[in-house]
Amino acid sequence: MMSVSLNINGRDRSVNVDGADTLLDVLREQVGLLGTKEGCVEGECGACTVLIDGAPVDSCIYAAAAAGGRQVTTIEGLARPGDYSPIQQAFIDGGGVQCGFCTPGFIVTLTALLRRNPDPSRDEINNALSGNICRCTGYSQIIEAALLVAAAATSTPTPAGAVAQ
Amino acid sequence: MDFRSLRSLDEVLAALAELGDAACVLAGGTDVMVQLGRGEIAPQTLVHIEHVGELSAISCNGHVRLGATATHSSIAESPAILNSYGSLAAAAASVGGWQTQSVGTIGGNIANASPAADLLPPLLVHGAVVSLSSASGSRTLSIDQLLTGRRSTACAADELIVAVDLEPVGARTADAFVKVGRRSAMEVSIVALAVRLTLDETMTTVTDARIALASCGPMAFRATEAEAALIGTTLDDDALRAAGAALGNRAQLIDDVRATAAYRRRLIPRVLGKAVAECRQTIVNRSESQT
Repeated sequence: MMSVSLNINGRDRSVNVDGADTLLDVLREQVGLLGTKEGCVEGECGACTVLIDGAPVDSCIYAAAAAGGRQVTTIEGLARPGDYSPIQQAFIDGGGVQCGFCTPGFIVTLTALLRRNPDPSRDEINNALSGNICRCTGYSQIIEAALLVAAAATSTPTPAGAVAQ
Repeated sequence: MDFRSLRSLDEVLAALAELGDAACVLAGGTDVMVQLGRGEIAPQTLVHIEHVGELSAISCNGHVRLGATATHSSIAESPAILNSYGSLAAAAASVGGWQTQSVGTIGGNIANASPAADLLPPLLVHGAVVSLSSASGSRTLSIDQLLTGRRSTACAADELIVAVDLEPVGARTADAFVKVGRRSAMEVSIVALAVRLTLDETMTTVTDARIALASCGPMAFRATEAEAALIGTTLDDDALRAAGAALGNRAQLIDDVRATAAYRRRLIPRVLGKAVAECRQTIVNRSESQT
């Protein structure tokens, strides 16, 4: 076991890990952040997506020890209850959530996309989401939610998020 | 399992010299962590190279050199790669999803030597030369010398893939990458093919053709017989048919979870035709934009 220091959602944490432990297991079992979901455990479904230094990564196939010294953002780091980020609010307004299991992964991936490109096209959204699988929605409402935020970004001075309400 | 996160190439080579077979090199982990999770590998120590700064650059001083930890995302977005090695950029953009591309590396894709590795056909057609280093020295191998079989390479336990050099692209030369899967995203390929084509000054006759295929045998390969069937031709239907047949004959096709051998056999000539047409069109377009 080794001690690893990383920053999770803006807070410095120290965790004891084995070299083979995944970031997902450490987040859920040691840190108690249960918003990041375990789906396929093979990097196929995107349910476990977190941001590492701003880039989306499947935490189920990323070594926790490799995250040492880096900024990890989980779904819990994006908003507090009642104070949703624009993409979270758009999921609520646009019906982007059905069973909800894949939702944190989609929100995290779309957060990365919207930070890079506040006004993505439908194709850019589809492309960004190619590593996230949803079995309920058929993706339409999820993509529409992202487009709502994109539209809000271009219609200044309305703050992003307000348009979707 | 021990974990050493190292910051310099010298440290990595010293660790590999010390540990040998007991070490497994870890970069983005998109293959290694899956194999660990499945119990397919059980190294004593993971040697983490993701933060070795000197390994991640894509440079173009006379020719293009990719550091071993250049990620699929950085390759897909690199202007130098997009300009001259579009097949490699397209292949990098088709590996898994964004999550895989943001941490998965070219060195990992080569070292893993999957029969379905998407980057290998473009690297084969662009005459990639792989630099290997160890504590006792360095050597270079062409990519086809490096690949020795299914999930097997000539990289020794104490060696690290450090960089990949691409052959410069001359005039009237273009490349293309075509991947067929069951769906368009997050798919392990059923057939993945890269072509690099050079036409003569009249833009009609093929002076050089390179064709490489993945997911059609135990390892990705260059198909010299199919290349020979195109060189000297005007890419007429007979030439394309002969090349398609030669390509199918060279492939060692199997039925697997993704497709049957019979389906792959039907697919190969069509995929070749599509890639060749794309190359020819790119050469023509570039020539028109210059005049």
